Amino acid sequence: MRKATDIAVAAVAGLCALIAVGILVGLVSVIARRGGPALSWGFLTEQIRLVGASGGIFWNLVGTLILLATAFTACAPPAIAIALVERVWLQNERGRRALRTFLYTANGVPSIVFGLFGFILFVQWCGWGKSWLAGGLVLAMTMLPTVTVSLIERLKTIPPAYIQAAAALGLSRSKIIWAVLLPQSWGGLLTGSLLALARAAGETAPVMFTATIFAGATLPRGIKESPVLSLPYHIFILAQDSFDPEVGSKLWGAALVLLALVFVLSLIALPMRLKIHEEANL
Amino acid sequence: MTRTLSWFFSMLALAAMLLLLGIFAWQSIPVWQHDGTRYLTGVKWFFRSREFGALPMIYGSLVVSFIALIVAAPLGFGAAICTAEYLPRPARLAVKVLIELLAGVPSVVYGLLGILLLRDWIYDVFARFEPLNGDTLLTAGILLAVMVLPTLVTLGDDALRGVPAAQRRAARALGLTRAETLISVTLPQAARGFGSALLLGFGRTLGETIAVFLVVGRQDNNLPEHWLSVNKWLESGQTITSKLGSSETNIAYGDPLHWAAIAGLGLILLAMTGAAAFLGTSFGKRSDA
Repeated sequence: MRKATDIAVAAVAGLCALIAVGILVGLVSVIARRGGPALSWGFLTEQIRLVGASGGIFWNLVGTLILLATAFTACAPPAIAIALVERVWLQNERGRRALRTFLYTANGVPSIVFGLFGFILFVQWCGWGKSWLAGGLVLAMTMLPTVTVSLIERLKTIPPAYIQAAAALGLSRSKIIWAVLLPQSWGGLLTGSLLALARAAGETAPVMFTATIFAGATLPRGIKESPVLSLPYHIFILAQDSFDPEVGSKLWGAALVLLALVFVLSLIALPMRLKIHEEANL
Repeated sequence: MTRTLSWFFSMLALAAMLLLLGIFAWQSIPVWQHDGTRYLTGVKWFFRSREFGALPMIYGSLVVSFIALIVAAPLGFGAAICTAEYLPRPARLAVKVLIELLAGVPSVVYGLLGILLLRDWIYDVFARFEPLNGDTLLTAGILLAVMVLPTLVTLGDDALRGVPAAQRRAARALGLTRAETLISVTLPQAARGFGSALLLGFGRTLGETIAVFLVVGRQDNNLPEHWLSVNKWLESGQTITSKLGSSETNIAYGDPLHWAAIAGLGLILLAMTGAAAFLGTSFGKRSDA
């Protein structure tokens, strides 16, 4: 009886894990099977024609990359600053805990709320209209908690001896930051950013009101009224009206490209992230 | 200099978050003046006749999140038990990598799969209840279950691994089987972590927009007679997020009252997800998964 229970529990747990992994495999294979035929060199280098039924997704890819680059540039300085405040400048435990609570709560804010915030602030009040900069800044806000937490975890793993040695040499705190902490922790910034960028690349809700249109945009010139195309918004619009079989195959192709982009970004970040995660839990 | 810069950018980020909260609170003032708490309890939303009742959308958001957690919790925690308690380290890492990848799949891709596969499947399986179409609260709930699964697995795994290994060894040394150790030693200690995982997952599902938008049907004013009745689950509904993501947001700007009603929905959503995230993190331990 006891033995049977033992085996049954293990079997059920294993089955759950199998189903979870099976979902991923099934999902990827469905998208690959349906999207694969649409992929070609032209699909990546041509622009949209006939409302998505023909042509490719070149400007959508470019737009997504512009948004990601903007978001990364806007996100890195505050992320580094907050991590340094948490690790170096704040010395009392209560302040630190408040800061961490702030980060975790910010992490829980739904992306559509950030999108509407950007819509009010940048699109309406600043009068930018739909703009790549508005979208990039909104995406930066969604990324900030992930990047900061990853950087903080990384800073925690720097051996105290390094800092003590630097302090013994008479370096001031800000010198220690530039000479020891930042060079030792850029990996944390990188993994955190890649992971956050992978999430941001697939986000539709923050950019749908702030940055992207469906067709007719190329490289932005200036800030005002300069929207971009993007992959997730492209899929979002086509998915609502996907009866034309030609559109269908292009649609799955776009989904496959987006999925590949996201997976590549997260796979580069994963080994380091898992390592830190595992060590933090030992 | 470094110190000033650090504080400057930190304060900038903090100010942006406070501004966000402030904007939603401030912009929603007209609707609170117009309707008071009837905005929260009103059951009708007809913006042309200036009726703004948010309850059907609050109901929709709660129902899809509830369905998602009911479906995903056993599966996710079962998988977490498998990775934390049974799998050897290499297999464990492999499963965790796959789960992390699953977490990265964009919600618009889930939405696409929901439209082209799940919708028809629901329609066929529940044919004898005669749903009008496949865009139902249940469809959105099941799609959300798949989306929230990685969060539950990762946080559940963390919770289990937070239990000291010495306790398991002690239990095994007393002659308990692995299952008995799990049930009487490990799980009770990981319960808080599981609770926190559920709360954080709840926050995720409440805030998910695009996938829900694509499969929930976006039918206003769908509210059952009784809170517990499930017959509306197989009808199209509206969640807070699907309303916020709709084109009504663009129409509303310019009409102060209508816009206030939209901003008010944002505020309600912020309050609900904020509470879930805050409780979830103070309840358990970590939340960067």
